Amino acid sequence: MMAARGRPGSDRGSRRAELHTLAGPYALDALPPRDRARFERHLAACESCAHEVRGLMETAGRLADATAAPLPPGLRERVLAEAARTRQLPPVLGKSGLSRGWARRSSWPRIVRPAWPLSLALGRPLGRPLRLGLAAVLAVAALAFGGLAVVSQHHMSQLQARDHLLAAVLTAPDAKMMTARAASGGTATIVVSEHMGALAFSSAGLPALPDQMGYELWLMGPSGDHPAAMLPAPQHGMTSPVVATGLRAGDKLGLTVEPSGGAPRPTSTPILLVAIFP
Amino acid sequence: MSEGPLRPAWPGGGEDAAAASGQGRDDVAVLLNRVGRGDEEAFGGVYERVAPAVFGLAQRVLRDPAQAEEVAQEVMLEIWRTASRFDPAQGSAQAWVSMITHRRAVDRVRSAQAAARRDDRAAGTPARGYDTVAEEVEASMDRERVRRCLGTLTELQRESIVLAYYGGYTYREVAGLLGIAAGTAKTRLRDGLIRMRDCLGVT
Repeated sequence: MMAARGRPGSDRGSRRAELHTLAGPYALDALPPRDRARFERHLAACESCAHEVRGLMETAGRLADATAAPLPPGLRERVLAEAARTRQLPPVLGKSGLSRGWARRSSWPRIVRPAWPLSLALGRPLGRPLRLGLAAVLAVAALAFGGLAVVSQHHMSQLQARDHLLAAVLTAPDAKMMTARAASGGTATIVVSEHMGALAFSSAGLPALPDQMGYELWLMGPSGDHPAAMLPAPQHGMTSPVVATGLRAGDKLGLTVEPSGGAPRPTSTPILLVAIFP
Repeated sequence: MSEGPLRPAWPGGGEDAAAASGQGRDDVAVLLNRVGRGDEEAFGGVYERVAPAVFGLAQRVLRDPAQAEEVAQEVMLEIWRTASRFDPAQGSAQAWVSMITHRRAVDRVRSAQAAARRDDRAAGTPARGYDTVAEEVEASMDRERVRRCLGTLTELQRESIVLAYYGGYTYREVAGLLGIAAGTAKTRLRDGLIRMRDCLGVT
């Protein structure tokens, strides 16, 4: 980093003074990436800036506290359950100091986070994220199931090997993801490719059923109700994806409780009924 | 522990809150140390103390409870994963947690809105106006001390800080929204925050 040798008013001197003012926006996360990188380089060599940043970040922390709000129900249980199956990082050994410490964004530890397509939550087409490939999509699917269970590499390759069709649906250029809530409780995540006339369906948190019963997926349309698939037995409350093909315009996706061998016609009221092509 | 309006970790209101607030901070730092060694019970304690502010801040920035909940969950798990790397010599547990939370919330806002914002700016319409942000903050801000200290700032300092921190805007965007030079926004953010620091007695 540059030395403070410039005369006051020289380019170097004013550049340095300008860098100092970035401490405020830095502590508030208000720097665009380029400025942030520039400031962090400066921070590593500027003890007084590091001291100032510490104080300003404490101050920002007080601003954060002022926002404390009642927590959504169930969050605590989900967080604690997820933590119980999440491996922790070992401590970083060696010299401490702000320049290599947590306050520095570039050294800020992150949890494994797949590229997060916000469009999922909004139900918009998945164009961009899907180009990131199956890994991201499956990871996102796992996220959408209500947990941070990131699909492991191993599980992913098994899945890929086992089901190319599923991979094809998930990575179709026109794939759209939607989520729906079942009347009985639980959520479904559905990825549809209109072009392929196929969809992938998985669920989380559906009520457990007696042994001889299962969840059956239906395509319900103008031409009648067609059985699409039985959901596999849930693991940790989630069912792994099944694929339904042969979708036609006007089809809705239904889910009913049936004998575990499946039924030729739905025998109960769907707990979930979703229009596939809105 | 039941859900619902849990007591925030740092009451912060009124003058005699200082002691309690200091205690709260130490408390979380000690708990984090245990969390770093895999202590799930201690993690439950950390959750109770910090989650209301984590969720509240995420909600303030994202303005969407569903997304705020996701961010809160991500943040709490990150705390669990990286607790062993928290170094009390570098700052309070509270500052560490808020930093993680704010960065995550802002990352999400910026990635989601990057395209939309660019379009909006091109059209000369800010995506979110100052008034909305400021009103919400002022209406729901129950931490008297922070409110009082915000009140000691100049209008421009206050507006800049509120937009940057609670609105998740960069200083350039703040400048655009307030119709001031980018350099001015930078300095107002710094000197406003310094004034806040001194008013809150942050050491």
